[in-house]
Amino acid sequence: MFSTFLHELTLFGGALGVALTPINILVVMGATVMGILVGAIPGLTATMALALLINLTYGMDLMIAIAFLLGVYVGAVMGGCNAAIMVNIPGTPSAAATALDGFVLARQGKGGLAIGTGTVASFIGMVVSVLVLIFLSPFIYRIALRFGQWEYFLLSVFGIMICGNLSTGKDPIKGWVVGFLGFFTAMIGLEQVYAYPRFTFGSLQLMGGIQLIPALIGVFGISEVLFVLQEKVPYKIEGTVGKVVPTWKIIKQIFPTAVRSGFIGVGIGAVPGAGEDIGAWVSYDIGRRRSKHGHEYGKGSLEGLAAAETANNAVVGGAMIPLMTLAVPGSPPAAMFLAAIWLHGVRPGPMLPVENPGFLYIVAIMLMLASISMLIFGLLLAKPMAVVLRLKREILMPIIVPLTVIGAYAGGVRVFDITVMFIFGLIGYVLRKFDYPMAPLVLGIILGPMADISFRQALMQSRGSLLPLLPRPIGAILLIAIIFIAVSGIRRAVEHTREERKRIEQEQNMGSGS
Amino acid sequence: MDDVKKNVTADFIMSILLIIFGILIGWASLNMRVYNKFLDAPGFFPLILGIIFVVLGTIMLISAVKRKALEQVQEVLHKDRVVGFFKHDQFKRVMILIALMAVYIFGLIGNMHFTIATAIYLFATFLYLRSSSVIKIIIISIVTAALISAVFKNFFNIPLP
Repeated sequence: MFSTFLHELTLFGGALGVALTPINILVVMGATVMGILVGAIPGLTATMALALLINLTYGMDLMIAIAFLLGVYVGAVMGGCNAAIMVNIPGTPSAAATALDGFVLARQGKGGLAIGTGTVASFIGMVVSVLVLIFLSPFIYRIALRFGQWEYFLLSVFGIMICGNLSTGKDPIKGWVVGFLGFFTAMIGLEQVYAYPRFTFGSLQLMGGIQLIPALIGVFGISEVLFVLQEKVPYKIEGTVGKVVPTWKIIKQIFPTAVRSGFIGVGIGAVPGAGEDIGAWVSYDIGRRRSKHGHEYGKGSLEGLAAAETANNAVVGGAMIPLMTLAVPGSPPAAMFLAAIWLHGVRPGPMLPVENPGFLYIVAIMLMLASISMLIFGLLLAKPMAVVLRLKREILMPIIVPLTVIGAYAGGVRVFDITVMFIFGLIGYVLRKFDYPMAPLVLGIILGPMADISFRQALMQSRGSLLPLLPRPIGAILLIAIIFIAVSGIRRAVEHTREERKRIEQEQNMGSGS
Repeated sequence: MDDVKKNVTADFIMSILLIIFGILIGWASLNMRVYNKFLDAPGFFPLILGIIFVVLGTIMLISAVKRKALEQVQEVLHKDRVVGFFKHDQFKRVMILIALMAVYIFGLIGNMHFTIATAIYLFATFLYLRSSSVIKIIIISIVTAALISAVFKNFFNIPLP
């Protein structure tokens, strides 16, 4: 036990030496500022930013690439609160819950204080999540080492099911459909065992499969551009920014809520694909029900704002737990980070401590650096951010399109990837238009190959019978969880059908009555 | 209420498409080569996906029919409504934006220098969106296109299409 602790401590010390170089610190600082700016502009999301930037990191040293992407990720999630507070449009979906109290505060002339409190809350969320990442991950590595092919298959299905369940409001079926479409997308091309071409229709281009990064850029870049520009929605800044730095009294007031929300955010972040927005809403809801001042939530409560802002940033660290230990991303931006480190030859999962000892601690230290940078620049940039918010979306969004083209092309230097990116953009737009969530699609594309190969190999090992696989303890837990999610999801879908049927009947009765 | 009707119609159409898609995947999977045993055959996992799509499509179909989808479909897909949909501002706006992107990706890129193609695309899109005055649009398009090309090619060493 003590020797394990000493070993981990040595690894942590080594990671400190690798991560805390002047160039890494500078890159983290610059990237965090960039992330805050991106997050603050409505329409530019953390996921989109990371998708566009992945290929930029291709030529970078691994440490600089990690510093760059994590800085942008942390900054963008926090930066979303600026637009949510000042113009009532969340800069990123994760800041939607922040707008409820933040915008009321901005109209009272306390916009700066709301941004300052949100920044401090985000910092607390990051600290909680990084600590949990450091202390919990080694235990999950030990459990993950017991995973066989059957468990990996079930984990992929579990990821799709729970992500589909959480990312849709009332109808989880839509989330599952999109998740399994992601699985199908991953089936296109030469399969892994016999190199047999599946669904390629004789096309040489398709034999290489649908590349992950162009598909992600399409889904989160092109579809976002179309979604934002489909309507002319002008927005204006409400009130003045005013004082930014919160007093010690305010910090003491929000601290218990922030710590609790931090743990909620980590928990939600650790669920595959759940994402920052779900973390913020769940934390806000729990905060409202548990607080003595719950009735003030939605009416300009700093505590309510802190509940949402802490949790959405805590999801960042939480999302890294399944990513580092099982190679399953906890949120869509984390999926982009996974794609980026794959490009650099790092394979997260149970073997990571063996293949790249100390890598987990390097990520944790970089996240901590990004958090400190976010706290400093978040407070410093609150006032100048009002200028950024005045930039027209009609100018910014079209500029994204050439960036998506370069992003899709750069990885494989294939024009075909630009076509893939464009088609996925259109598919993403149509699906979003009809309330299909995008997170399960991304997770499906990432987990599809693992699900395919694991399932086939597990069945081969058990000679085609499921019976020897069922009593395995970890597999049994995952299977029970999948069945539970499926049953509860179908029940929710049935309730949703009943509610809508009632509404339609009521409207028909009113129509025939009049 | 109109949104509910549109959603029911969309669910109904999607459910049928999903069932057809699932059947096609299943059929294609069964026609894939079996090397050793069917359990490790390339078509085994896609076959399961096909079955899942048929099951999910059927659940969606039942849900849509229970929400009176057949009546809603007739109402939503009425000739006047369909014509109205195609004439709707949002539809036209999205279609034009997609067309501009398609011309940029399939028509301009590869046939001329990336910087020129990007400048033309940006100019046309800004002009359509009336982002600013024509002079400002020309300046922003040229400067942005040149800047993007220079930064990616020279600073990040990334190949341009």
